[in-house]
Amino acid sequence: MGGLIRVLGGRAVQAVLVALLVGTACFLMVRLLPGDMAYRIAASRYGYDLVDGAAAEAVRQELGLDRPWPVQLGAWFGGLLRLDLGVSLASGEEVAEALGIQLGHTLLLSVTALLFSLLIGPPLGALAGLRSGGWWDGALLVLSAALRALPAFVVGIGLMLWLAVEWEWLPVAGVGGWREVILPALTLALGLAAASSRVARDAVAGVVASPFFGFARMKGLDDATAFRRHGVRNAAIPVVAYLGLQLVILIEGVVVVESLFAWPGIGHALVHAVLGRDIPMVQGTALVMGLLFVALNALTDLACWLLDPRRRAA
Amino acid sequence: MPSAPLSRRPLLLAAAGLPVLPRPAAAQPAADLFRVVTSQEINGLDPARSGYVFTRMQVLETLVGADDGGLAVPQLARAWTLSEDRLTWRFALREGARFHDGTPVTAVAVAAALERARGQSGLLGTLPAERIAADDGAVLVRTSRPFAPLLAFLAHYSAGILAPAAFEGQAVREMIGSGPYKVSRLLPPQRLEAARWERWDGPAPAIGRVSYLAAGRGETRAAMAEGGQAELVAQLAPETVERLRRNPRVAVDVRAIPRTRLIKLNCASPLFRDVRARHALSLALDRQGMAAALLRSPASTATQLFPPAMAEWHVPALPPLRRDLPEARRLLAELGWQPGPEGILHREGRPFAFTLRTFSDRPELPGLATAMQAQLREAGIDMAVAVVNSGEIPAGHRDGTLEAALMARNFSLVPDPLGTMLQDYGPEGGDWGAMGWSSPALNGVLERLGAVADPAERAALRGRASAILHEELPVIPVSWFDLATAVSRRVAGLAVDPLELSFRIAGARWAG
Amino acid sequence: MTLSSRRLLGGAMLAAVAGFALLGPLHGADPLRQNLSATLLPPGAGHPLGTDHLGRDMLARLAAGARLSFGYALLAALAAAVPGTLLGLLAALRGGWPERLLLGLADAVQALPALLLVVLVTAFAPGEFLPLYIGVALALWVEFFRISRNTAAGVLARPQVEAARLLGLGTGHILRRHLWPEVAALTATLFAFAAGTAVTTVAALAFVGVGARPPVPEWGSMMTELLPYHAEAPLALLLPALLIFLTVLGLHLLAGRERA
Repeated sequence: MGGLIRVLGGRAVQAVLVALLVGTACFLMVRLLPGDMAYRIAASRYGYDLVDGAAAEAVRQELGLDRPWPVQLGAWFGGLLRLDLGVSLASGEEVAEALGIQLGHTLLLSVTALLFSLLIGPPLGALAGLRSGGWWDGALLVLSAALRALPAFVVGIGLMLWLAVEWEWLPVAGVGGWREVILPALTLALGLAAASSRVARDAVAGVVASPFFGFARMKGLDDATAFRRHGVRNAAIPVVAYLGLQLVILIEGVVVVESLFAWPGIGHALVHAVLGRDIPMVQGTALVMGLLFVALNALTDLACWLLDPRRRAA
Repeated sequence: MPSAPLSRRPLLLAAAGLPVLPRPAAAQPAADLFRVVTSQEINGLDPARSGYVFTRMQVLETLVGADDGGLAVPQLARAWTLSEDRLTWRFALREGARFHDGTPVTAVAVAAALERARGQSGLLGTLPAERIAADDGAVLVRTSRPFAPLLAFLAHYSAGILAPAAFEGQAVREMIGSGPYKVSRLLPPQRLEAARWERWDGPAPAIGRVSYLAAGRGETRAAMAEGGQAELVAQLAPETVERLRRNPRVAVDVRAIPRTRLIKLNCASPLFRDVRARHALSLALDRQGMAAALLRSPASTATQLFPPAMAEWHVPALPPLRRDLPEARRLLAELGWQPGPEGILHREGRPFAFTLRTFSDRPELPGLATAMQAQLREAGIDMAVAVVNSGEIPAGHRDGTLEAALMARNFSLVPDPLGTMLQDYGPEGGDWGAMGWSSPALNGVLERLGAVADPAERAALRGRASAILHEELPVIPVSWFDLATAVSRRVAGLAVDPLELSFRIAGARWAG
Repeated sequence: MTLSSRRLLGGAMLAAVAGFALLGPLHGADPLRQNLSATLLPPGAGHPLGTDHLGRDMLARLAAGARLSFGYALLAALAAAVPGTLLGLLAALRGGWPERLLLGLADAVQALPALLLVVLVTAFAPGEFLPLYIGVALALWVEFFRISRNTAAGVLARPQVEAARLLGLGTGHILRRHLWPEVAALTATLFAFAAGTAVTTVAALAFVGVGARPPVPEWGSMMTELLPYHAEAPLALLLPALLIFLTVLGLHLLAGRERA
């Protein structure tokens, strides 16, 4: 048990470090980027048709962009201590409020996508791993390479035209009901399944080839039973470790899918914020994503710890 | 196997095979819901930011509207008068109008909303207004000089009238308008739902509920129109128009609007200081080819700055802009440019090279820039393309680093183009207009236009202004703008607004 | 299929892509030359693979793009795989503070969203490809690190390995005999995918308006440019994907193992 507490405690320390690092790094990088911030902020506020020098100057005055940067950064950290992420430079909304809405949408999309990918990827991969070298093993390799070669927007538009336009099963795009989440989630899930099926396949093939599995077979267990008793746990460790990573990649991968399916999420918001030089929004978004990452890692640690009795003992 | 339906279907679909389940009716809309899909996101509640969403959805009203030709028509104001000295405007309000919180629309509330809008940076800040006040149940606007385009300014979405309860200090906290539809659900930046406002004082709209969805990608919008999942899809991408025209579900409306894609040049730079250089650049462009291949609309080839849709400013007699490479080369040779290594022109050891900034908010612009890059290359001009944030163009204008920019300029931002002309081609140029160029003759013309009322003289002055811009080419017109809209055949009585002020849903009804 | 024939097939696929890159220019068309009256042509005489939306020769552009995308993608994947895997093994073998330090570093890098990392790196040199792929490598190495470290940690905890330790067999033996086969298997899989990810990430960035500067022919940005024409010219859109597919699959087969 002490091991577990140590692991989770480490993650808590990490969360604080992440907040410091992400906040500072985002701030400095955005400040260092070329281009006049005031104009960019004005452009995202009023639309490109209406930006002019006067609007930019007004923005500069209002937001105090002339202040020395340590003062501005200090103000942000001060706010963070009070759990105040500040106000978006572009929209004037509370960052926390905007993130709350967007994060919710992104999480819904990501979790759905992950569930879909879990249903698709590892089972198909395990099947291929059990009979490595078989026809399904080869077919799955070709399939996953094809899915990996197609960018999400090509897969997405294909699904959209097929399932929503041609067959009218699902809404093309939008947000509001549960049906809208299916297409974007499926698009993401296919990309994820392409990778997780490979990891699962390799892990299972490894287990099947290992001496202890051969021993179980010699005991007279059939393949399926042998795998259930001895294989699943061993094969699951790399898959779970990989899933932790995938969740993060997923949250970022959503940016394309969000834009294609008109889904109001955090990836979309982050790109807009960087392009618009909306520092509090970039800091807030990156912070939330960073902390989410720490939380996911803690969960992954926990899962690996539960799955691997030797590490539990250690 | 019949090949016709298959060949229409994209390869992806054919390869994916056909599902065996029947089509459910679930993709059909809930009854009495009119779904609008456009590209523009909802960026906040302030009319100065996203007013266009709320005015087009007829949630928010302005004092006056505009008809297809840009002439002012009553909206919240039922009538107006202008004083003898042409300085004081008096607007009488619709008596029965009520905000969506149930309070009556009073002159005091309207004056306060306009006064606040004027304090925000944006278009209304440029009004030469001295005083906006309530006076005996009417709204008075007094300008410091005769200002003919005032009505047009008041029709702009940033002049939308919100109820007093909508504000918290200067900030807008709630969308409380006075239009025929009232917001029922708002999910920025993507979605808006609204329903009939029961206490609306005009004729009750035939359509009960409306929704708005911002879908940034042209492919997505086209798919929604194709699948019958929207009643109105605005801003169709050019390459999708042909396909939708063949779709029996929708009627596609394509019309020219007062907007032009143009190249802004830094006329103070040694490259473009001479008018002959600007003409040479213009002569090197294959406008027809771009209009046909990329914009899918040969009629949108620009032959002068203002499109025929702007009948008052378009001058049919002007010699059309055209492609003539030998003439372009001759003009450049006259200026001392000689072909150098790899065919790039050189003068005094320096190449004819510059960077064109453009942006992807309008998705066709990077493609056009790439096409022009190759065309200019044929004339020996080396143009690099930088796809940037749109704010980099006015920023580059201000700090002088901008060399050239490809952009789209809306001349009916206020329904009277004079407002835009004054911003863009005044003595100091404009962020979205001339740079490093000024014409005393044009300034004189524009100034007279703001003050003169006689229609014949105004027409002559406008023609003069167009001719000056045509000869001097401070900006190089590339193509005019088509607004393509898909309207479901389930809807009747809906005429698309060429000025994009309203979707006009309140006046439409369900067909059959 | 035997291992050697799989490797042969994979090698053939990669050779085909490489040959395409080298031999494509022999076709003679200029990848930048446009013809607005011959856009989106299907494959035919003069244009063996048709033309794109600006009437540019697809064969010439794909070949020119192969040199860019293939080269940079492999470079990015390699730049991520080598340090990532080595550090992962080091962390698992050494344990203690170096492991904690490396894990902390990996977490810190990953806590900065990769998307932000790439967008920011790119914003410093807009339109250049190298920073784009550097950003991708910066984001990808952590994946190699974590996978190799987790796998190695799992292997090290096995009784056989403990037995080997007790027998006095050195780290070299454990590395060779127990660690490397397992780690190499997963790393090779990851590598093939990382190369594909590099290209599709660049495509995704171009899709949201970050990245390539026209008129550079790069597979990812080509797909973004051609997406609006998916209904008219699906082949033009799928050709770059086909090349990425051959690359990814070829790498996979080439990285095949005994057990596979």
